[in-house]
This record gives sequence, C-alpha cells and structure tokens, in this order.
Amino acid sequence: MIYSLRHLTTYRYARTVRYARCNLRLRPREGDGQHVLASSITVTPVPKGRGTREEYFGPQTLTLTIDQPHKVFSVEATSRVSVARAALPDPESGPSWEAVREAALALPTLGADSPAHFLFPSRRVPLAAEVTEYARQSFLPGRSAYGAAFDLMNRIRADFRFDAKATTVSTPLTKAFALKAGVCQDFAHVMIAGLRGLGLPAAYVSGYLRTRPPAGQPRLRGADASHAWVSVWCGRDWHGDGSEGGWFGLDPTNDCGVRDDHIELARGRDYGDVAPIDGIVSSPGGQKLKVEVDVVPEDEELP
Amino acid sequence: MTSGGALALDMQAAGSAFDPVQSWIDGYDQRPGLVDELLDADGYLRGAWPRFLERFGQLGEQEVRARFLSGERHIRDAGISYRVYGDQREHAWPLGPLPLVIDSRDWAELSAGIVQRAGLMERIVSDIYGPGRLIAEGLLPAAAVAGSPEFLHPAHGIVPPGGRHLQIYAADVGRGPDGRWRVLADRTQAPSGLGFALENRMVLARAYPDLISDLHVERLPGFFQSLREGLTQACERSDPRICLLTSGPYSSTYVEQAALARYLGFLLVEGDDLVVQDGLLHVRTVAGLKRADALWRRIDGDYLDPMELRSDSRLGVPGILDVLRRGGVVVGNMPGSGVLESGALGPYLPRIAERLLGESLRLSDPPTWWCGDPASLAHVRANLDGMTLRPAATPVRGPERDAILGPHALDAAREKAIAALRDRPFDWVGQETSPLSTMPAWSEGRLVARPFVMRVFATATRDGWRVMPTAFCRTAEREGADPTEMRNGIRSADVWVVSDSPVETPPLLSTITPKIRRIAGHLPSRAADNLFWLGRYLERAEGVIRLVQTHLGRLAGTLAADTGSDVGTPTSLRIRALLDEWESIAEPDLPTAALAQEALSDREQAGSALAHVLSARRSASTLRERLPVEAWRALTELQDLLDFGEAWEPSEAQLFGRAERALGHLSALSGLSHENMNHSAGWRFFDMGRRIERGVNTCAFALRFAGDQAGAEDLGVMLALCDSQIAYGARYLTGVSLDAVRDMALLDPFNPRSVAFQVQEIVRHLDTLPELRADGVPEPHRRAALKLAGTFATAEAADLNAAGLARFETEFEDLASAIAGRYFPGNADALRPEKLTGLA
Repeated sequence: MIYSLRHLTTYRYARTVRYARCNLRLRPREGDGQHVLASSITVTPVPKGRGTREEYFGPQTLTLTIDQPHKVFSVEATSRVSVARAALPDPESGPSWEAVREAALALPTLGADSPAHFLFPSRRVPLAAEVTEYARQSFLPGRSAYGAAFDLMNRIRADFRFDAKATTVSTPLTKAFALKAGVCQDFAHVMIAGLRGLGLPAAYVSGYLRTRPPAGQPRLRGADASHAWVSVWCGRDWHGDGSEGGWFGLDPTNDCGVRDDHIELARGRDYGDVAPIDGIVSSPGGQKLKVEVDVVPEDEELP
Repeated sequence: MTSGGALALDMQAAGSAFDPVQSWIDGYDQRPGLVDELLDADGYLRGAWPRFLERFGQLGEQEVRARFLSGERHIRDAGISYRVYGDQREHAWPLGPLPLVIDSRDWAELSAGIVQRAGLMERIVSDIYGPGRLIAEGLLPAAAVAGSPEFLHPAHGIVPPGGRHLQIYAADVGRGPDGRWRVLADRTQAPSGLGFALENRMVLARAYPDLISDLHVERLPGFFQSLREGLTQACERSDPRICLLTSGPYSSTYVEQAALARYLGFLLVEGDDLVVQDGLLHVRTVAGLKRADALWRRIDGDYLDPMELRSDSRLGVPGILDVLRRGGVVVGNMPGSGVLESGALGPYLPRIAERLLGESLRLSDPPTWWCGDPASLAHVRANLDGMTLRPAATPVRGPERDAILGPHALDAAREKAIAALRDRPFDWVGQETSPLSTMPAWSEGRLVARPFVMRVFATATRDGWRVMPTAFCRTAEREGADPTEMRNGIRSADVWVVSDSPVETPPLLSTITPKIRRIAGHLPSRAADNLFWLGRYLERAEGVIRLVQTHLGRLAGTLAADTGSDVGTPTSLRIRALLDEWESIAEPDLPTAALAQEALSDREQAGSALAHVLSARRSASTLRERLPVEAWRALTELQDLLDFGEAWEPSEAQLFGRAERALGHLSALSGLSHENMNHSAGWRFFDMGRRIERGVNTCAFALRFAGDQAGAEDLGVMLALCDSQIAYGARYLTGVSLDAVRDMALLDPFNPRSVAFQVQEIVRHLDTLPELRADGVPEPHRRAALKLAGTFATAEAADLNAAGLARFETEFEDLASAIAGRYFPGNADALRPEKLTGLA
C-alpha cells in the first residue's frame, strides 16, 4: 500500500516569540517493510539555521533555530510511503516469555534495535507494581511471549475507555491506569510499563493509522490524527531462517497487530524519544496548538 | 599497606611521667575484626602515626583546642557550608581537628591504583560511546550499560573535543578485610569534594602550620595547577575562557563550587549565562556574548541539554550537544560519563583491565555480582544472608538508604529482596556485606575509632593522570550514620600524606612570566545583575534603618532640629506613613518601640530592614566567588544584628543602639567594597545599585520632608535622613531654610549623600563600562543618565517644587530599568525559555 501523508502543526503564541530552537521528527522511518518514496518539510517563519541529526533510535531529525520575531509557527510535513509488512504470526507461537527475558539480556549489542534499551523504566514510563500485576495475568508460565503480549493488548482494549478528555500529554501513567481511560499514548505507555515490569523489552512507536471514512461519505481534510502503539521484542529469529522473530507491533488502542494500515514515524523508549516536535521558545506567554493530519491511500486523492 | 611503625609501648620510655600519646592509645576503642588506620591487629601504631602523634601529643589538649578554634573561625568567616539534599538551610562545615595520616609509601600504592583505574575508566567510556567492542566481545553485558540512567543515547558517537571523556576521576575508597585499599564507588559524573578537601587543608594549615612543614606533608597547589592546565591544554585557543557550570546556589555543594571557581580562576556560570550561537558556546556578559572554550560541569549529564536530554531541565544549555558534536567546546567530564558509576560494571572490571591494559586490576571492588547474569543471580540467591542488595544503576557504595538488603535488614526486607529478584533481577547487584574500616577521630581529648570513606581525586594532564595528594574524608560520628553522604552525624577530616623526606613546596617565584592582565575577564550579565541588586537591597535596608533611627532619635532628643514635640506631630506621622508605604511595618499606629522593632527585624514584612538584608544575602550567595570574604562576614553579622526576633523586648534606647550599629556595618560594607574589591565592572554594578537606590530614597525623603510646605521639624528630619546635619550646621549658621536644605540634599555635587552626587557617579561608572555600539551614538541608558545629570547640574534650589521632586524619583526608576535592560537582558523572567508542548 502506498500512502500520501500530510501533517500540519500550527503553534499560535499569545506574545511575540523572539527565539526558538526545535527538533522535528516528522520523516517516516525506513525499513521493516516501510519505504519512504518522498518527504519534505516546510517551516514558517524561515529558520535561521537548519540541520539534521541521526538520533539513536530514530530516523533523521531536523533541527531548527528561528531568530526572527513571530507569533505563529507552522510546520507542514508531507511524504509518500509504501508499506508492505510480513503477515502476523500465529498467536501463541514463538519462544516462551521466560526464555525471551533471558535472551534479551544475553544479546551482546547496543545497536538501536537491541532489546537492552527497552527493558528499563524511562521518564514517562515508570514501573508501577499495580501495572505489572495487571500484565502478569496474561503471562502464564511457559506461554509464548507473543501470545501473552497479544492477550495483554486484548485486555487493555477491553478494560480501557478511549477518552480524549480524560488525559493530556503530560498525564502520569499511573493516573491513566487508575482512570482506565485515555488516548493511544496512554494505552501504549500502560502496555509498555506492564511488559517491562515483567522484564520484557517493549518500545513506543509513533506514526499514523489508515482510517476509513464512513460508507458513502468523502474523506474530510485534516480529520486524521497522529497515532502511537507498542513494539514488543519476542526473541530473535524463531526458525533460524530469518523469516520470523524480533520486534512485533501491537496496537492496544485498536486491538490489532501492526501490518499495512500503520505507518511508522519513529520508535523510542517512550513518547519523549519520538515527540514529532519539541524544543524551546523564548516567550513569556501561553501557546495554542493545532494539528491536522491526512493519511490518504494512493488510490484516493488528497481531499 | 606498609607495616606498623614504632611499638606503641616504646613511646612511653621517650616521654615524661605522663605520656598523653600512650593514654590516647590505651583508651582507643579499636573495633575487633575491623581494619583500622591507627593500630594494626596487634595493637601497633601504623605507618606515620608515631611521628605525627609525637608532635601532636606535645601540643597538649589546651593548645589543640586553641589552635583549632582559629581554624573554626575561618570556617565561619569564609561561610564554608553545605546543604542536605532537600533542605533549605546551610549547615556549618563539620571538620575534625585530627587529620588522617597516611604514610607516603602506602599512599603511593593507592595512588598507582587510582591512576590505573582512571585510565581504565577512560578506555571503557570511550568504547561504550564509540565502537562498542567490549559489549560485542562479551566483556560487558549490554543491559548492564543500558540500564544506567546515565547511559545517554544522544552522547553516543560524539568524539570528545580535547580527546578525553574524563578530566576528573574520583574514587571512594576504604580498606578491605585484608587491609588493602579497595574502591567502594567510582565517581565519574561530576564528583564533589575537591573544594571541601581544599578548604579542609586551609583550615588545618592555619591550625598546625608547624606540623605540616615538619612532618613533610604533601602540598596541594601542584595538583590544582595540573587540573587547570589539563583543561587549558584541551582547548583550541591558548588563552581559553573556562567556566564552571554550577547547579546553582540551592544545590548541596554550591559553596564548594564557588570556592573552586575562585581558587582556579574559572568563571562561575549557571545555565542561563550560556547560550549557543553559530555552533559555539558563549557566555552572556555585560560586553555582549563571549566565547566559552571549556566547561567544567557540576550538573548531572542528563540535565545538560534540554534539546536532546531531559527536556524539562532548566539547568543546562539548549543546543550544547550540537556544539560538542562540532568540537566547539571542551566539557569535563563529558555528558554520559556517569554511566561508569553503575554498580553493575564492577564485576567485569578485572577482565576488562586484562583485555584493554594487559594488566591486572590494582584496586579491586568488594565482591559484587550483577543479577542480570544467570550464574551471578544464582549465587546471590543462594547467599542472601551475607549480601547487601543495591540498585545496579547507582554507584555501588551509594547511600545506604537505597539498599534493600543490608547489614541491618529485617525479614521484611528479605522478602522484598526475593520479590525484587523475581521479575527484574537485572536491576540489582548483590555485594558481600562488609563494614567500613575505621580511623581515629578526636573527641573531647580522646582518640576514638570511626568508620570512614575517603574520596581520592585524579585529574587528566598531558602527561597522564595526576592524583591529588590528599582526599576528601568523611567519618561517621554516630552508630549507623552513613559517611557516603554529607549529612547529620558525619564529620570530615583532612588527609595528610606524610613523607620521610622534604616534599616539593610551591615555588615562591613562578618560572614562567604570565601574560599580564588587570581584570579577570568580562563580567557575566547574571553576576552584574546580582551585584546591582546586592547594592540596591543594602541601600534599601539603610533607608529603612535611617527612618527608624531618626524616628527614635527625635524622641530621645538627639536631633539638632528637635522641637520637643511628641509622637503625634505631622512629621512623625509622615515618617510612619513612609515606613507603611515601604511595607516595613504592617500598620502605622503601633507604639514607637514596637514599630521600630517591626521595621527593623520582622522578616514577615517585605520591606523591613531584615527582609532587605536577607535579599541582599541571597544575591550575595550567588556571588560568593566575587565578594571579599570579609564582605560575606559583614553581611552575616548585619543579619545577626537585625534578626533579634520577638522574644526580646528592647527599649527605645536599645533599638536606637541597634540601628546605629547596623548603620555602622553598612558603612563598613561600603568601605570594604571601595578598598577590597577590584574596581572593575563588578564593583561598578554594585556601586551603581547603591547609588540608584540612594537617589530614589533621597527623592522620596525630599518629597515628604522637604516639600513646598516643609517646616523646621521636617527639614531637621530631612538632614538627619541624609546624614548631613553636621555639614549643614558647619555651612549655615542661620538655622534651617528650605532652599539651603534642598540644595544640600539634592543638588550639591560635593555632598556624597546628595542626589546630584549619585547621578554624577552613575555617569562615571557608565563611561567606563563596555559599549555595544560602534557608531559613537550613546546607548539609551547612557542618554538617560546624561540627561538626568544635566538636569541636576543646572537646577537651582529656588526653582524646585514637589512636582519636580516626584519626577526625579520616576526618572531614577527609569534609569534603573534602562541599565537592567542593557546589561542583563537575558535574565528577566520575561525571557525565560519555555517548552514547546502539546501532542503535536
């Protein structure tokens, strides 16, 4: 499947900003069944300096400094991406979760894909006993890591309510867990905390999801959203032929394995590693943020 | 370790009938089974102790007390203090009068081990952030590294400018059961203690100068010179600007950081002082942005750059990692070097030393197992009883409070340990429990054995690692106190490395001719801002005290213009109204003594003299490295003088006396600033702050006591407030007249209390401060000052009126804002950066 993507972010400031420095992580990731055909980013006002940086886990990050006074800052990222991922494995296949836990510790590498990075609590995903115990119910002794993680995803979808008003970008994980409500970011963080609490490697993935307009209605412009899900490491190379194993994407918000409806931007230990835009501005006032996203399959036209 | 020296009993023969040394040794509570620094297992004095004790014993208890008192005075005067984490108060520095004495041969062995270990640490950290061979070869488990919160991913791949990750290495050491030194924790992040060790030596050098020289105690200046040279040589420019990046005045070791900056001649900066521009790091100074070549950081690596590391950090510098990538700044130690402190690394060091250095490790760790390794986990589980279980990611001999299974563990802790090892064993290391070795401390005329930890420092130089010939030593004064952290129940001690032969003493004359310079470099804007406010607060305090004193003095009949009237005269009411307006008092109708007490010493009143002095102290606390030691002392004394609280109910006469003494201290501070501070930019900002505030105050006084309708009583008060009665009496024999008082208080350019004089001085200061414009057009703040000076130079007393006086007051405030806007623009709260937030 080939997608056209458009991600427009607009910050409006209460008072004039004289200086800003930011990171843009808006270029889709290459690899894992994904290929970037084209990608461009337009920024207003025009930055004074523009550079790129290879981040440890992620794709190329664009770094900007802006030194002209402005009250509106907008970033428009557009790209074309083809996605063709392998079929999902059979449920309950692959090695046991206990074996996966030992294997994750034994791998002698600190490459970006190494499970070692994703075993530990991170700033936005602290470990909490109650989350670990919740996850443990899926992890029966000897069960396959993939099967148990898939079951955990099923349960989060069943037990949690999608509610965009319940949480914000800075709501702590334990609060979202207590509320049993939130958005994709919260569900992903809860699932990651549960997996890591049991000693299993889990990563946070940001990206987009293909949506289907209601039957008979046209696609609305800017109606899509950025999305987040989980990638869990289930042991390397299950069959010794490279056909299956490693990292698997699981989307607890939609209760499904990740295949060709998901377009991946970046992965990291938590939202902090992959935030599409972050940085600092010199401004005394507040800010308003608007995000418009379009995910259009190639056979449709951009609205 | 070298074997014991003289047999303790032999010393008695050499001494007289009563030998204090022998009585100390007899009374020494050496703990059975523990290695001790003073006595070996057979009760023999170790190493250099016989030589030291012989001399120390000759002093006698009285003499020791007297000498050490002078040392303690230095601690108070210099304001040496520390904070306990999370505590607002500063604690006076606790230092024992007895040094830890180590024989130079024993020290040489320790020192060689430290050099080896520092070198090994550098090799490991450059591999972790570089090629990763140790992990690939299985010498270091990947998860043992990734589990450290100080493994900073963005630092991966950065080649350290200057060639080194570590400029400073420190190790906490103690003795193992076999009597050999061993490393309890590696400190590679931003180790504290160097400055405290230096201060400890300064104190003991005052108390025992003769012992230090006679016993050939190793000196410190050479080490600090190497430290400075090491950083200098790492820089691109030959005369680099080196900054010490402090964690700020509220951090536990700020005083130490300030002392080091002063001693080494580094610029003490906070994150806000620094800015990245055009790929280089700069300091904001009163002369604009100036390049910073090197940064000695005392904040944790994760806080260094909010763009790539902790995004909520307010301590760091946005974009500095980018500068590092381009090689534009030297940072010691490099961000991420804290990963070496991880306790999980310990068990792997012997093999890594063999692999990288081809040597066996000279200084070992206490036996430690990382529970992420299945065999180690099995061992720890099987031997839980003799184990201390600690978080793997923190230094092994980290604070005891982090341990969940230790020497004092209860059954509940044991259960907790077993549970912790179930899901995430790799978060823990098990370590054989062994108590700390002991050293002698001085307690009420006796020697007592105390558990101790000693932090040894090394600095990287072009010719390899150099070890500081002393250490930062801490002893536990109470059972259960943990000397790995400075807190209650912990005392520090100086460490003397004692040699048989004379040691290298610092040369009196340098063999190199330095480049002559007269000022220390450009003044950072924030320091200028704080100096400016220090001056303003002090002058505000003076204004309040003068008002109070005048009010009290009138009643006591000491005023020249006293008319014998009582509290309720219009003049008195005006004094009270002004104190009320300045928020020095809560209500204007109090009895005189209560009112005076409140205005002087009520810390709840935002405008009391004490409140202003406390604000002045806060400003001064960020300037410790720039103020003369005497100024800090005078400020402390001023605070003590005013802070007499509610318990004491002084009479009006006593309050008058207090006010007078407080004014005396303020003028001593003025004198100090003139005579003991370099008259460079910093002093000018301090002085300008005082002058601005004095100008504003005098205008405020004139509006109320030299207004158009002012009577004799008012004018008398006006002269008193301007401290000009005597000058007036000498100049005019006719009694008070409005024009003459106004001329003297406002326009007389020869009267150092007049407004005209203040303006004149401000213009003089501004003339010598750096300009940003090259076109010769005066900058706005200078225009404002020149305009005000012109007004005062040409005004005549007869033409002044109340409206004009009010305008002067406003113009002064405007001038203050213009100066602030020009020299400290980045420091206004309005320009604090905030985060871009929101789920984008």
